[in-house]
Amino acid sequence: MLIELDRVSKTYNQGLPNEVAAVREVTLAIADNAMTCLRGASGCGKSTLLAIIGCVFQPTSGRVTVAGKQLARLPDRFLALHRRQYIGFIFQRFNVLPALTVQENIVLPLIPLGLTPQQMRERAGILMERFGIVHRRAFPAGQISGGELQRVAIARALVNDPPLILADEPTAHLDSRLSNEFMDCLAELKAAGKTIILTSHDPLVTGHRAVDQVIDMQDGRIHVS
Amino acid sequence: MFLNSWSIALVICGLVVTFLMGFAARSGIRVLFHWNPDSDANRQIQLENEIWLTSTLVECALGVQIISLVVFVLAADFYSQAIVGAMCATGSLLANNFGVPALIVKIGGVFFYGFWIVLHQLDIRSEHYPLVRLKYVYLLLLLPFLALDLTLGVLYVAGLHPDIITSCCAVVFGETAGGGPNLLSGWSPRLSLSLFYGSALALLAIGIVLLVRWRMWASLLFSSLCLWFFLLALMAVTTVFSSYIYAMPFHKCPFCILKAEYHYIGFLLYVPLFLGAFLGMSVIVAEPLRSLDGLEEVVPRFQKRAVVSCLALLLVFVGVATYPYLRYLILGGEG
Repeated sequence: MLIELDRVSKTYNQGLPNEVAAVREVTLAIADNAMTCLRGASGCGKSTLLAIIGCVFQPTSGRVTVAGKQLARLPDRFLALHRRQYIGFIFQRFNVLPALTVQENIVLPLIPLGLTPQQMRERAGILMERFGIVHRRAFPAGQISGGELQRVAIARALVNDPPLILADEPTAHLDSRLSNEFMDCLAELKAAGKTIILTSHDPLVTGHRAVDQVIDMQDGRIHVS
Repeated sequence: MFLNSWSIALVICGLVVTFLMGFAARSGIRVLFHWNPDSDANRQIQLENEIWLTSTLVECALGVQIISLVVFVLAADFYSQAIVGAMCATGSLLANNFGVPALIVKIGGVFFYGFWIVLHQLDIRSEHYPLVRLKYVYLLLLLPFLALDLTLGVLYVAGLHPDIITSCCAVVFGETAGGGPNLLSGWSPRLSLSLFYGSALALLAIGIVLLVRWRMWASLLFSSLCLWFFLLALMAVTTVFSSYIYAMPFHKCPFCILKAEYHYIGFLLYVPLFLGAFLGMSVIVAEPLRSLDGLEEVVPRFQKRAVVSCLALLLVFVGVATYPYLRYLILGGEG
């Protein structure tokens, strides 16, 4: 089993009047080389859960095990290392740096690895070729279209060749054609042996043939209907 | 009390450290009662986050306290301009009953505070915080020492008056004592030098033995020798080497070498000496942690680096200390 969550909870602003329990006692197991979709209405806790699996947030309580390693309480420096080695994260708003070029955005996760500029350019080049954005290589990311931006975000998530890909509402800002393209791309990655977890309430995503498991969430809990 | 930038710096330094350590003591007590690394409960996770912040603050506070030794000595040197009879920090420190004890406690503090920083640095290099309980127990034990350090520092500064008459370094460390206190009159330079170079060679030999093959007895011997060499070096600098730096046979002082007139050569002597001795002594502090889960690689790596750095720094110290002496012997004077 690649990912296990044991009674994981996350409360924002704990002990304050505006306290919000985003995730409550979630126990979950996600198999290796599968595509899992966390589905639920806005505010149900699916993005928080994804961020916990991706080591972006720390749970308030509970145990998170990814690739045999307990992540919930790993010190920051080890979390950063884990994120770099195991996780590629595609954010809802892509979070690319608009002032940097497409290539510079893609090579960002490679910088801490100490590769030479030539090696970094080569790795980025293969991905840009694959996603059809090689002609945009020198363009600032702020000047390209939404679909291209999304492909930059995917390329950046894959440049370290992580075994786990996380995508938070990846089709929220895309039309149906681009959404389909995106899902086909994820299907290819799954076929290449990656484990993929995404959050969405888009039927185009949840109903896609490559999705193995859909987990419904409601009020921070897993909802069994 | 002299109210100037040095006194204010020392008092503010003390107040900040006291505040931070008060905060740390609270976390330390919580660690003693509630720390449970096997638990996934909210309290444990909160405590881990809390000690992450606390440890960082403690590290800074202890770092500041270590640096305050330099500020303290420079302040004492500055006060000598206003105290009758004082020519450098020696006279100022003897101007009341708290100066020398404050200096000794501060020197001890460099090592005791530094050991906490070593424990912390080793702890955060493991994924499981294996030393949290140990380092917070040590921190709680360190608090009375720190309180003594801060109190003596403040009492010393508060007890200084311009009308005090004190002794200068020529009297305190000279061979022909007058009416003032003479600290090192019976210490033979020949004995100093023999012990100094003999200990340096022994330290080098044991260091090499350790680097070739690690043995527990050798690490204990190495650290003990570092302590011995440190004390001996302070004595040798005062009774022998300083005279060659001043180019005056009767001028023996461990503080004047920090002045601009002597090109601040004292810093070049003391920084490698303190740092080298500290790293050498850290070797034995880390020794019992070698087999702890999560530290099996971290501690041996640290110890080897500490031995190498210690030897390199002490070599620099011996070189800098010996240079004026050797130059005098070769050139038969200042040249």
